[in-house]
Amino acid sequence: MRLPEIERGDGFANRLLIRFISMASGMRLPDAARVAFYHKNFFGVPMGRWTQAAMRGPSPWSVAERELMACMVAKWNACAFCVGAHAAVAAKQMQRAAVDEAISDFRTASISGRLKSTLAFLEIMTLHPKDMKAEHAKAVLNAGVSADALTDAIAVGTLFSIVTRYADALDFAMPTPEEFELAASMLLKRGYV
Amino acid sequence: MKISIRPDHRAMAEALRRRVLEGPGETRPELRRASAERAAGGPATEAPFDDLARQVGEGAHSVTDAQVASVLTAMGSEKATFEIIAAAALGAGLLRWDQAMKVFDEVTNASA
Repeated sequence: MRLPEIERGDGFANRLLIRFISMASGMRLPDAARVAFYHKNFFGVPMGRWTQAAMRGPSPWSVAERELMACMVAKWNACAFCVGAHAAVAAKQMQRAAVDEAISDFRTASISGRLKSTLAFLEIMTLHPKDMKAEHAKAVLNAGVSADALTDAIAVGTLFSIVTRYADALDFAMPTPEEFELAASMLLKRGYV
Repeated sequence: MKISIRPDHRAMAEALRRRVLEGPGETRPELRRASAERAAGGPATEAPFDDLARQVGEGAHSVTDAQVASVLTAMGSEKATFEIIAAAALGAGLLRWDQAMKVFDEVTNASA
């Protein structure tokens, strides 16, 4: 963590909250949560509101599918923290083997055709946004993905294009595999607000 | 009967954009907007913000301690430094949102 004030918390209340949650959960509170508490009204509140809606709101996609999308966007952005965090959450509600297959090569993974076509779209969006064409969107809709589902996926892709960037710019500390598991349970239970 | 209200992603994207790039902060909104545009591949902005914003956009995994420290030294504030990083990250993300929704709208409006 490159900004110590984020690590310890801004203000007495946030410092206490960070210490309390760390103690109660038996692990160091991950940096992603520390950023959510920091300079809240500037960034954390509007970002959290959209992330919660995209990742946990009503959607044709399951929570696991959206977490896998987040994990894949993280992979394409080479963000190890976010790959670890969101693979762990996805694996709470889908087969871990399928998550690992997708990370390795989503085109041959044991996931639905709808999800594969959406991930293909998100890959272009993440890596070559200025090369996006209508035919890329058409291919997803032709694969049986609804307009609502594609919009939701675009939202996830956008949000994690943002999250991975500040995670790496701030140099988030890497949790252990056990800590990723614990954090995944918390994220599944509490969401992003 | 439970009624599920779908998220209004367009409204939330716009709310986030306005808050971070136009709302109050420790930094000038113009500097945040310039950092966001730079991270989205736009024109160079003033040093040392330009280097950090460009790197956040191109590959944040390669951001260095020195790039962040330069901005922190210039601003003298961690919150201000965070605002620049957040603005740059947002700029890169919203580039992707805008491009994706543009092609989405082309296809869905064409079939409406």
